Amino acid sequence: MDWFYIQGILILSGIYLLAVLGLSLLTGFTGLFSFGHAGFMAVGAYITAMMTVNFKMPFILALLVGGVAAALISLLIGRLTLNLKGDYFCIATLGLGEAIRLILDNVQYFGGARGWPGIPLKTTLGNVIVINIIAIIVMANLIRSRHGRNFIAIREEEMASQIIGINVFRYRMISLAVSAMYAGVAGGMLAHYLGFLQPKMFQMAKSTELTIMVIFGGLGSISGSALGAIVLTALPELLRSFAKWRLVVYGLAVIFIMITRPQGLMGGYELTFKNIKNFFSRIGLKANEKTSIGGDQS
Amino acid sequence: MIILEMRNVTKQFGGLTAVGNVDIQVEKDSIFGLIGPNGAGKTTIFNLITGIYKVTEGEIIFQDHPIDQLQPYQIADIGITRTFQNIRLFKKLTAYENILTACHYNASYSILDAVVRTPKYKKEEKKLGDQADKLMEIMELKDRKDIIASNLPYGLQRRLEIARALALNPKMLLLDEPAAGMNPDETIKLMELIRQIREQFNLTVVVIEHHMDLIMGLCDKIAVLNFGRKLAEGTAQEIQANPKVIEAYLGEEEVNC
Amino acid sequence: MSAFMQQIINGLSIGSVYALMAVGYSLVYSIMNFSNFAHGGVIMLGSYFGFFLLTLYKLPFAAAFVLAALGAGALALIIERIAYRPLRKRNAPFLYFIISAMGASIFLENIVIATIGPTFKTYPRILSPQPYSFGTLSIGRLDMMMFIISGVSLALLVYIIERTKIGMAIRATAYNMRASALMGVNTDRIIFIVFGLGGLLGGIAGVLFGMKYTVYPQIGFITIKSFIAAVFGGLGSLQGAVVGSVLLGIIETFTSGYLSSQYRDLIAFALLIFILIVRPMGLMGKMTEDKA
Repeated sequence: MDWFYIQGILILSGIYLLAVLGLSLLTGFTGLFSFGHAGFMAVGAYITAMMTVNFKMPFILALLVGGVAAALISLLIGRLTLNLKGDYFCIATLGLGEAIRLILDNVQYFGGARGWPGIPLKTTLGNVIVINIIAIIVMANLIRSRHGRNFIAIREEEMASQIIGINVFRYRMISLAVSAMYAGVAGGMLAHYLGFLQPKMFQMAKSTELTIMVIFGGLGSISGSALGAIVLTALPELLRSFAKWRLVVYGLAVIFIMITRPQGLMGGYELTFKNIKNFFSRIGLKANEKTSIGGDQS
Repeated sequence: MIILEMRNVTKQFGGLTAVGNVDIQVEKDSIFGLIGPNGAGKTTIFNLITGIYKVTEGEIIFQDHPIDQLQPYQIADIGITRTFQNIRLFKKLTAYENILTACHYNASYSILDAVVRTPKYKKEEKKLGDQADKLMEIMELKDRKDIIASNLPYGLQRRLEIARALALNPKMLLLDEPAAGMNPDETIKLMELIRQIREQFNLTVVVIEHHMDLIMGLCDKIAVLNFGRKLAEGTAQEIQANPKVIEAYLGEEEVNC
Repeated sequence: MSAFMQQIINGLSIGSVYALMAVGYSLVYSIMNFSNFAHGGVIMLGSYFGFFLLTLYKLPFAAAFVLAALGAGALALIIERIAYRPLRKRNAPFLYFIISAMGASIFLENIVIATIGPTFKTYPRILSPQPYSFGTLSIGRLDMMMFIISGVSLALLVYIIERTKIGMAIRATAYNMRASALMGVNTDRIIFIVFGLGGLLGGIAGVLFGMKYTVYPQIGFITIKSFIAAVFGGLGSLQGAVVGSVLLGIIETFTSGYLSSQYRDLIAFALLIFILIVRPMGLMGKMTEDKA
């Protein structure tokens, strides 16, 4: 296995990691399900490519434009459907994701269904790593703030959130927009890694695959999502012969996770130095437990 | 001074009148009791005040401002909060996180502040932490700080829900059957707690309860509801002497026993 | 004018199959309040059952048809038992149901790709291609059969729901599951019946669809359109699902006929977003106020 191949896998993992981080905020922390994230990736991909190819914009700036474009589209659909109860937002994202793809099929400016070749190859392992580090820090800081706690509160108990003064609609909008922006930037990076775009790349199956990665890692865990994205992107690349059965196993695993361990791999825990230390000290404590029992005054 | 006034409030679901032409006035800094048989519309009144339901007719006025068109979170912003009959905690979060979350709007840092960790973020986050700690102390939950809310004993869950409500620094606290499922001992402790927090936080309290000892011992004024209508209003003595109340409410209790 | 009538007839025929699929979504939604995305996989496998029974086992058409429907019904029950019942038993949030449904749908689609293969399969020809003609109008024999079988199945379903004791229990459970359980309705049994009925009808729809077009693993995409029809008519409402399906069928044939078949799917998804914005409860659905 040569370095070029490994590098490719790493870049791809990094790109999906970015999209999964965004989706993790929406599904894992805010409790909203999306069938449309491939659509947001598509918007980001095409807009970013348009910026670099047709407007000769620098890559990083173009990525930002792509991300913002995806966020704006998401806000539009969010504005209209996020105040509805239950399933309706999820159904709307399904419609939106597919509509974006079908519209792109018919936009000849972007090559239509045949695709758009010749996009400059600007995504490197270096910029993937840098962008991912920034993205993870931003997300972790967002989650560990009053705003992050509000997202989690909404996921846990919507009515109680309102009663303690959280504007549920507004926070859902924020979560959606940030999430779509991550997906948009990921789309832009994908476009400039492959050098080719086709609407078919952004089918609903792609959205569900992103969701699977979030679920594997664990709803409500950033490090879990990151782990899920890397493992699930790299694993099938490494096990080519397994490719045919990959989604069969994923489908079963998703059901299995939901009925046995819905919190996923990490179960809402984060991989931080503090937690790792706590984990080991807890193992130490367990060993001493017998001697300290009985001293519980409550 | 009247802090909350309901004027001729009616709420209908389809053709069913859950609350009909109810007038209530709550004095500032008082403890106001709301009693009545099951299905009398007590919780509906809480849902109307907190904006979860919209009134069909009538007005609700809080500190001279109409609030019946506001969203629940806006009502929390102006200083009314509540607990729920069937406890609604953030079940999978720890006791501390439950309170810390509710402290949120005593801070004003933006998302950008949070993302780049500005001094403002750090200062205010520390303030929120201190506030949450203080509340845990007052509510005697300190030794349960890191317990997941749903693993707390029932009585403590109720207390945690009150603590979470207090985190908003409310002017008015609505308690929906706070003593449900408690034994007489716990009920007496709860009574003392309600009195104590009323003093400490300058609160006006409205409480729905079936424990008559608690209501009669605690409330400055009591309103009795039956079938969505207000049957009577007055002090504990007046209510206990009112023949209509005895017939509709206490009388029914006797039959049951 | 006759071209116009012809489009209506084509629309009714495809719309009636959508309706068979859509009621499956609506039935489950009315009881359990979530979109059962695994239903698409059930329909797809129903279609495959029919295909193999006809080609591999050379069964007579009627027998293959009934067995395929039963097979799809059984599959729907198995999915309910494995993917939803454990969630139901511990009152899991509805997000988990959708995720589990998604997992089931991915599993079904890909196990077919992995074992049978991704290629299109063509049903053996059963009816003569010679259409019935009424003056200037012509109706394919197959279209006619689709319309009749769908109509009869839907009429039976409506009869069960509206006229039988079980139907009454289903309606009561849809109205309020907890209260019905307290009144002595065995809600587990109701859910079992609802999934079985949905799967049965889905299997019928799958066979009809396979006969009209072809069988392939991604039929799920077509079934999403029947889901759109269910939303269009009002999720949870049977009448809504039927009306929505027929309308969607007609809208689609008109789009193909007068605009371009390229826009057919786009129109369907645009319609979905549009209806969610303007009237999220659908044409015949009801909006409920949240209980505190």
